[in-house]
Amino acid sequence: MRLYQMVVKDITRRKKRVLYASVGVVIGVATIVAVLTIALAGETSINSQLEKYGANLMVMPAISNIDVGLGGLSLGTLAVGENRIPEDKLPEIREITDGLIREARGIKAEGNIATIAPKLYVNAEINGTSVVVAGVDPQEEHKLKTWWRVSKGRYLQTPDEALVGATVAELLKFNVGDRIALNGREITIAGILEETGSNEDYQVFVPIETVQEAFDKEGLVSSIDIRALCSACPTTEIASAINGKIPGVRAVAVKQIAETEMGMMEKINRFLLALAGITLAVGCFGVVNTMMTSVHERIKDIGIMKAVGASRNQIVKIFLYEAIIIGVAGGFLGYVAGTLLAYIVGPLIFGGVAVSYVPQYFLPSLVLATFVAIIATVYPAFRASKIKVADSFRSL
Amino acid sequence: MLEIKNISKIYGKEIAKVVALNNVSLRVNEGDFIAIMGPSGSGKSTLLNIIGGLEYPSSGEVILDGKRIDNLDEKDFVDIRRRKIAYVFQQYHLFPSLTALENVMLPLTFCGTEKGEEKALETLKEVGLEGRAEHKPSQLSGGEQQRVAIARALVNSPSLLLADEPTGNMDQKMGREILGLFYRLNKDGRSIVMVTHNPEIAGHAKEIIVLQDGQIADKISQKGGRQ
Repeated sequence: MRLYQMVVKDITRRKKRVLYASVGVVIGVATIVAVLTIALAGETSINSQLEKYGANLMVMPAISNIDVGLGGLSLGTLAVGENRIPEDKLPEIREITDGLIREARGIKAEGNIATIAPKLYVNAEINGTSVVVAGVDPQEEHKLKTWWRVSKGRYLQTPDEALVGATVAELLKFNVGDRIALNGREITIAGILEETGSNEDYQVFVPIETVQEAFDKEGLVSSIDIRALCSACPTTEIASAINGKIPGVRAVAVKQIAETEMGMMEKINRFLLALAGITLAVGCFGVVNTMMTSVHERIKDIGIMKAVGASRNQIVKIFLYEAIIIGVAGGFLGYVAGTLLAYIVGPLIFGGVAVSYVPQYFLPSLVLATFVAIIATVYPAFRASKIKVADSFRSL
Repeated sequence: MLEIKNISKIYGKEIAKVVALNNVSLRVNEGDFIAIMGPSGSGKSTLLNIIGGLEYPSSGEVILDGKRIDNLDEKDFVDIRRRKIAYVFQQYHLFPSLTALENVMLPLTFCGTEKGEEKALETLKEVGLEGRAEHKPSQLSGGEQQRVAIARALVNSPSLLLADEPTGNMDQKMGREILGLFYRLNKDGRSIVMVTHNPEIAGHAKEIIVLQDGQIADKISQKGGRQ
């Protein structure tokens, strides 16, 4: 029988005490695991939203606002530049985008790769209400908006049709087959979209050529959404290439916008982790406390062990072995509790996000908990080793 | 083999000062069986603790096999406790979570002996408990527990066995059994120093030392002891 075997034998017959001792570590580790698991779930959900839905890049007209004033008096701002993009830039944009994706992914095949969806937004009076009409390329838009579901009717097929957002349809009591006038041009409502929860619910989608004709904006678009069909596509490079080669437009990678959002999340995560760290530190004091109690309770045992030949080192070792067991047990329970907590709290924070357990956190949980338990045990163990045999018996 | 010279032990300071031992000298030869008697508080246990190195004397010398051990630090004393002097307590002091066999193996574990099981079993057999090896202390009678404790003390083959009222918690019959065991061990050549209240037990020792107020009041030699 070796020393650690003795400790294991002894401790397995005192399971409750080990559990009690590990409570502090469990709470600390559980908090950290929960925070990290929830944070990861949130990040994953943002990422997958970005990846699955919509554009990776947006191209807008390059408009700059300059302050206009007389002397020190501000008279407001003045938009300088075209507020539309000429349609004939589209092939050039496609060339740059597809070219860079081909280069990055080593694709040789000809043909279009990215989805490039131009849009022309106009304000129109329909049945006396001002509505945003979005001229879209039906095919490209369909590829871009994978989440679109038509609740009534069907998707756009001919030029003189409209697809209506859910809220607009409700407010203006539109039905499939209704005819509406668009700046004098009559079109038919082909379908109504299911609610998406975005501003699309307030828009009316019409094939872009129809809008251009009806509003005298032939050859113009308001913005272009580009979707590169891979998560590792060089969207930032594409954006700067477009900005560098095509005058009058400003391309932005959505990732850049997302990074701002992620940055905010990171700050929140850091704050939560700091809190979790404090919890762990408090837990550490808990372990010190239980260990001190344990030393006190076992003064007699320690005396006997010394009387039958235990050295000071061996007494310290006995307590450290216990700490390791407490740490491993605490780490395991902490991981499980933290994960469960994440499953419960995660969806409340990130609105129904799917939390999944993170196996990579398991080992670090054990290591962290063991480390904390050992740190917390060093002093009590040292105290225990200094107990004098005769004193321990006198305290009986 | 063991000699103590002019040992004094004083607890506390000034008004609270208690003189537990006052200038006590004693010799334990190989094969001796010494009984220490005396009323409560006469310093019996303190004397035994000093002999066993569980306590340091305030003054005087403890010499084991020709070497002073009263000034050793704890580290060096560990070795003596492991190999030369073993203790048997009145309350047995077994570990309740370990089996009889594991309790006996404990000193071997502290010595770093990995395969102590055979030796421990052998020692349990010596005290007549080979059939109880896997029992926990709570499943054993008082006499059996004390025998486990004696086996634990014997497992490292010490030359000196110290016992502090080993039969104090037992009825007469059981006490006699334990005492018989001590006899046999003494006959096999182990030196024994035993603290006891019981004149009957003391009567079997080769030498009786009577302590009173921390001093040796009487020394009675009984040749070969009564058996």
